[in-house]
Amino acid sequence: MDETRKQELIKTLSSRLNQAMRMYLDNCTRCGTCIEACHAYASEPDIKYSPVGRAQNIRRLYEKYFKGAGKLAPWLSEAIEFDDAVMKKVYDTAYTCTGCRRCVTYCPFGIDTQQIQSLAKQLLIVADMEPKVLSMLADMSIAKGKNIDKTKGSFATAVSNLETEVLERWRSEAGAKAVPLDVQDANVLYIALAGKHSIIPAASIMNAAKEKWSLSYFEAVNFGAFVGNPQKTKEIADRIIQEATRLNVKEVVICECGTAYRVMKYMTGEHPFKVISFIELIARYLQEGRIKLDKAKLQGRKVTYHDPCQLARNGGVYEEPRYILSHLTDDFVEMTPTREDNWCCGGGGGLVAMGEKDFRMKSAKVKVDQFTATGAQVLSTACENCHTQLSDLSEHYKTGVKVEYLSDLVSKALVQE
Amino acid sequence: MSDIAVAKILDLKGLPCPMPVVKMSQEIGSVQVGEVIEVHTTDPGSLSDFPAWASTAGQEVLTSEQNNGVIKIFVKRLV
Ligand code: SF4
Ligand code: SF4
Repeated sequence: MDETRKQELIKTLSSRLNQAMRMYLDNCTRCGTCIEACHAYASEPDIKYSPVGRAQNIRRLYEKYFKGAGKLAPWLSEAIEFDDAVMKKVYDTAYTCTGCRRCVTYCPFGIDTQQIQSLAKQLLIVADMEPKVLSMLADMSIAKGKNIDKTKGSFATAVSNLETEVLERWRSEAGAKAVPLDVQDANVLYIALAGKHSIIPAASIMNAAKEKWSLSYFEAVNFGAFVGNPQKTKEIADRIIQEATRLNVKEVVICECGTAYRVMKYMTGEHPFKVISFIELIARYLQEGRIKLDKAKLQGRKVTYHDPCQLARNGGVYEEPRYILSHLTDDFVEMTPTREDNWCCGGGGGLVAMGEKDFRMKSAKVKVDQFTATGAQVLSTACENCHTQLSDLSEHYKTGVKVEYLSDLVSKALVQE
Repeated sequence: MSDIAVAKILDLKGLPCPMPVVKMSQEIGSVQVGEVIEVHTTDPGSLSDFPAWASTAGQEVLTSEQNNGVIKIFVKRLV
């Protein structure tokens, strides 16, 4: 590693040292309370994948460049220097952290390991060592924002081709568009993912509720956040903010994508519109009596629910999915542990996009044990990333459990009066 | 029907986010420069995602067509 790169890394590390980060780096007592809180360690004990183990290299770099002992007498501290070998270790511990923040709820000092890993990811970007697939996806999203006018027409044709499948779930009034686009002054701008499975159920539910809504031209997921690049995260979110502002919508509703929800809700500042998750919108429709569900659709199958980390522990959405499930089934069973203590699925932080199947399957064994212990045949969830990882786990460990999106279950149970 | 000569057909129907673009970026190297991959997908978003990816990866989306719910995108390898 050349000197210029080293200096860039020191500068980046320095730029992230606000009061909170210094507190996280200074105050770890190595008490070990967090160690078993990480699903990766709990599944396959290896100290480098424990929260305190993951933070160790960043702490030692901080000691080297910013603490008295590391600067004056490095032989007395554990300080290490920026070099290629150290950065390889940082990669291994940073991009295997899903950012679930389960460990944070265990640390008596409130140390946020996910924030330390986000700093680690920023350093890896400066070192040109981040996973290129995540940067590629983030760049694609940014380019899409710049060129959207060129593809609006073909996108509109594709969504109008979904009409039959939307109408199979809910017959709208004649003349109403099944998937509306560009609706000025809509109550809801719904931000989907690229796939039709994230559009059709939502469209049928909003049509059933007689909502004035509009589908966004952009996808919800923010790969800038996955890769850990604040500038790209902002550029990707700005596309949606500009569209919502142009259409003067009241609410931006994020589809079942945990990271997209957390980024839009907590990391993009104040807006003239509200940001909610689609799960919150469904719960509201049920509460207001705007949609009704038929429990017969799930009759005879026990159902459990996986709280996506970015929606629940990091987004506070716990009650709404359970309220929805109470309208879908009388045979619901909670996992143990549950809610803020729920195990991460093991696929977050970009791991699904990066592939990493072997690591994902091994590091989430504890998740498989947790959901199979419920005896449920249906594992519902509300995040595309969790859905992919849980489906992979179910197949890999041959559990026979079917993973379902909550919105899909709701849209198939809509009662047409 | 397009009369573009294709070197490979890639079936990406029904894949979860973001696998269609990830698979495309992995597969583009499997054809020669100048050859075309025909992608089949059911994702409306891929109609904007693929041209955006191509513009950042130095590749080219020649055209797309939609029939019976299947979207076909023709991607030419330029580099
Ligand atoms: S944020 Fe999650 S994955 Fe990362 S160290 Fe903490 S418990 Fe482990
Ligand atoms: S629980 Fe907190 S103080 Fe204890 S080892 Fe983990 S990060 Fe350090």
